[in-house]
Parts: sequence; structure tokens; C-alpha cells
Amino acid sequence: MDSHYEVEFPVRGDDFLAAGEASNQIKETLVMLGVPSSISRRASVITYEAEMNLVIHAGGGILRAIITPEKLTIEAIDRGPGIPDLDLAMREGFSTASDRVREMGFGAGMGLPNIKRNADSLEIDTEVGKGTTLTATVFFGR
Amino acid sequence: METGIKIVEGSCKGCVNCIKSCPTEALRVIEGRVKILPELCIDCGECLRSCREKALALDEDDWDLIKSHGPVALMADPTFCAQFSHYWSPSLIREALASLEMKDLFDQAAVAFDLAALATARQLEEASRESLPLISIYCPAVVRLIQVRFPELLHRLVKTETPLETGTLLWRRRRGSKEGVILVTPCSAKVMLVRGPVGRARSMMDHVVSVKRLARDLLAAGPKVEGKSESPIGSRWLAWALRGGESRHVKAFSGKKLTTMAVSGLRNTIDLLQDLELGRLKGVDFVECRVCDLGCIGGIGNAESRFLSELRLSRQPIEWDVTADEKAELFELYESGIWKLEQPIQPRPRPSLADSLDEAMKKLKAMQAFYAELPHIDCGACGRPSCRALAEDVVRGEGELTDCVFKLRERISLLGEEITHLSGKLPHAFHERKHPK
Repeated sequence: MDSHYEVEFPVRGDDFLAAGEASNQIKETLVMLGVPSSISRRASVITYEAEMNLVIHAGGGILRAIITPEKLTIEAIDRGPGIPDLDLAMREGFSTASDRVREMGFGAGMGLPNIKRNADSLEIDTEVGKGTTLTATVFFGR
Repeated sequence: METGIKIVEGSCKGCVNCIKSCPTEALRVIEGRVKILPELCIDCGECLRSCREKALALDEDDWDLIKSHGPVALMADPTFCAQFSHYWSPSLIREALASLEMKDLFDQAAVAFDLAALATARQLEEASRESLPLISIYCPAVVRLIQVRFPELLHRLVKTETPLETGTLLWRRRRGSKEGVILVTPCSAKVMLVRGPVGRARSMMDHVVSVKRLARDLLAAGPKVEGKSESPIGSRWLAWALRGGESRHVKAFSGKKLTTMAVSGLRNTIDLLQDLELGRLKGVDFVECRVCDLGCIGGIGNAESRFLSELRLSRQPIEWDVTADEKAELFELYESGIWKLEQPIQPRPRPSLADSLDEAMKKLKAMQAFYAELPHIDCGACGRPSCRALAEDVVRGEGELTDCVFKLRERISLLGEEITHLSGKLPHAFHERKHPK
């Protein structure tokens, strides 16, 4: 039987105080399941950066973690503005965050590159004006 | 597995005050008695502060017994030198201790702390940019916290042995002495330096006694001192009793300009480690965390108020410039490698719910189902620090859902309804007589 475990958290846009909570809970879930710390560390980076993108750019959304015996999939789904130029957004240091956000120490343009570095596979489905769905996968066997 | 905290039999009233104070949820109150889960305990001592019944205590050795066995050598934590108003310097304390036939290891401590600062400064210089910041190992509770909750930060811990241990080693090597050495500890965390050290097989120190116990003894005896000490004792090591002292000391030995951060208090420590884990401390070279307020002087095993200790330490003249002679000695010791941590520090994660991921997922689902049934107000009446912890204990087979008073009431109410319902059912014989044909 195909067993899997799923957790889902709503993330509010612009709520910088609560930012990081969803990724923290996902990390705790992985520890309870006995996922090795090398994997959960990578997963933490992905979930945190994806969560911050929802907070900073998307006006909120949903963060979901799906765990199967083989892999961990993290999905971040929003109905935000979408990403006009994905190649540009994947570049280190490129950011469209406002000055206000940058003053708080976020929006350094490292989010998506960080996710890419830590994931075994990354898919981004985005449409301007409609929203973005990010799917990152980490395989346990690697 | 041991902890630096002992439970005083018969004192626990089952009030559950302590379970909420624990940062790693390592306490339970079962059948009216407090219980420590050693795999989660980081020896921080927060529970000792919260216990009104004094049912939790520092797990120290019996000082009177040790004393009765003859002369003793003391490896005193720097906080010990900040406990007294009239013995305000290490040399005065030395005189007072000597009059009671106690030997101090102040000179070795001064060298060992210098050496630790030098070794850490060298590691910071040699570290690659990505591996910075490194984290201090001086607070054993911080090391345990990282082992338990932040295993991915373990590689950032400096590979320097605690100077209290190195100092003892120096003393043993130079004197070739076999006498027992007693660590004078300001906290429950440092008890573990002797009882179950991390990063080495066993400690060179033999016993552990609290600063409070020894300071009271010294004050009660109240020996007169004249301040006639000949050789001055190094002062830089005293700074480690205060938050930021270690960082300052490391800077004194560093060839490059260092950016350091020093925080004290458990909450601040956890917050800072979280920032570090998320990669938000770019440009920082060294992080010094102490779980006690203001640093080690805030430890639960001290006699003096931490505020007075701070005041006293801030008045101590500290000579930050290292002389050429001191440097020559330290460089030689550095080369000998005596300061090195013997073994790498391993993670100590909470055991997962089951051995296989598949089984663990089933249990986690069951746990979520149990949790959903609980009231989510974390009242503590079940003896667990939170509803989540109870749900976890239930799936681990260490509790029942009816440990929750709300669930118990629900069950009683259902049972009551069933009894009423059953009592409404009439026996058949009676039934027939009531409706005769």
C-alpha cells in the first residue's frame, strides 16, 4: 500500500512575526518520523525560503509537505502576482522585494537559488496575475 | 543516561509548575511524582528555578564527605571569584582557602582559559567563510541543546575542550599529582562536565560541588585575610563568568578583527540558534551563548545575586594585554594540542516514533488523531507540558488519553448517559405483567 503523510499550513502575507512557524513545524514532523538530520536540514532551508516568498511576495498562500517512504515533496501554492521572468528570479541577488522588506533583513535575492541548491528537483509553475505553484522534492535515498 | 539534576525523593507535590519551564519538554509528572526524560534533558536548570518544593536539585557530591577525606584541590569556575564582598580577588580567595587547607587551581585555570581563547581564535582564523560563525562550547547546556534540537549546527561548535578540564589536565601533568580534583560548579549543566562529559570519554576531575555549597562553607568559617599574596594571578579568565567575556578574550588573541555575538538566557539562546540555523548570521565570526541570565553568574548553583556578581566583576581590573612571556608559554602549549576536544560531538535527537518510516507515519497519524481530540489548552493536569506531548506519549505507549481530565470527564459523562439509558430498560418479566392480555 502506498503510505504517505501530509501536513499543510496556511501562510499569511506580510506577517513577518509569524514567518518561519510553518517551516519549523514541518521540521519537527520530520524529526518525529526519524528522517536523518542531513535531509531535514535541507528540507528546513527549502520550507523556510518558500514560506518567506509567500510572506514577502505572494500575499500569503499554502505550504504543504508530503512525505512518502522514498521522498519528501514541498509545495508552496499562492494566488499572488506570479513571476514575470523566471530565469531572472532564479539568479542570485536578484530581488523585487520592497525597501521596507529589505530593511527587515529579508529579500536578499537568495530565496529561489537556495531552494534550487537544496532540492533534488524543483518545478515552478507560474502565471502573471494568476499565481505560482512551487514544487520541490528531496529524495531520502540520495 | 544521566542528567545534572536530581529528584529529591518525597518532596514533589505534583504541582506541575516545572514541566512548563522546560525548554525541551523533558519533564513529566506521573502519579504525583516528577520524572525526567534524560534523552531530552539539557541540564539547563530552569526546572530548579521553578520548583517551590525544592524537589529538584543540582546533582552534586556530598561536600562534607569529600572534605572529611583530607586535603582537596579545587577547580573553581570563574563565578566562584565573584561571590564574596570581602574576598574580592582571586589572591584573597586563595589565602582564605589555604587557611582552611584547601588548594586552588587558579593558576592553571588562568593558563587554560588563555589557551582556550587562543585555540578558538586560531580556529576562527583558519575557518572558511562558509563555515563561520563558529559556536562556543563553554556552556554545556548550549552544547546539549544543539545536540538535541539543532543537530545541523554541531559542525559549527569549536573543537576546544572546556578550559576547566584542560586546567585540571595541566595541573595533573605539572605536579604529577594523583589527588582528587573537585569542580566547583555554578550550574547543573557543568555538573555533567564531571559526570558525563561530551567530547571525551571521561573527565580528569573527580567530584563536583556547587559554588553555593563551598561559598557558604567559606563564609561560615570566615577566615581573616591580609592580602599578603606574592604572585599575582591572571585575571582574564574571570571575564568568562559574564556574558561576552569569552568573546572579548578570543579577540585578545585574534590576528584579525572579529565580529562576535554574545547572548545570555535560554530564550535568547534558542532565538539566536534559530537565526543561525536559517543562515541569517552572515558576517558573524563567533557566537557565544549562555543559557543563564547575564552569563554563568546567573547559574542556579551560585550563592550570590547575579547582579551583585556582575557589579563586582565589572570592577575587577582585567589585564587584556598578553605579555611576551605568557605568549611563549601559551604557543608551546597550543602546539602540544592539550586544548583539543578528544572526540567529535554527536547529535542526540529524540528517538523517532518508530524504527521504520512507514511505521512512524502510522504513529504520527494516530498521534494527530489523539491530539485533535484534546482541548489544546496545555493545562498540564495530565502531567505533560502540552496536549501535543500527551498525544505523543500516548502513541509511544507511555500514557492514556484519559490522563486528560477533559477526556476523562467526557468518558464519565458518556458512561453516565449509558447508565441512565440502561436503567430505563425494564426487565421482560415486569414488562409482561404491566401489559396483561
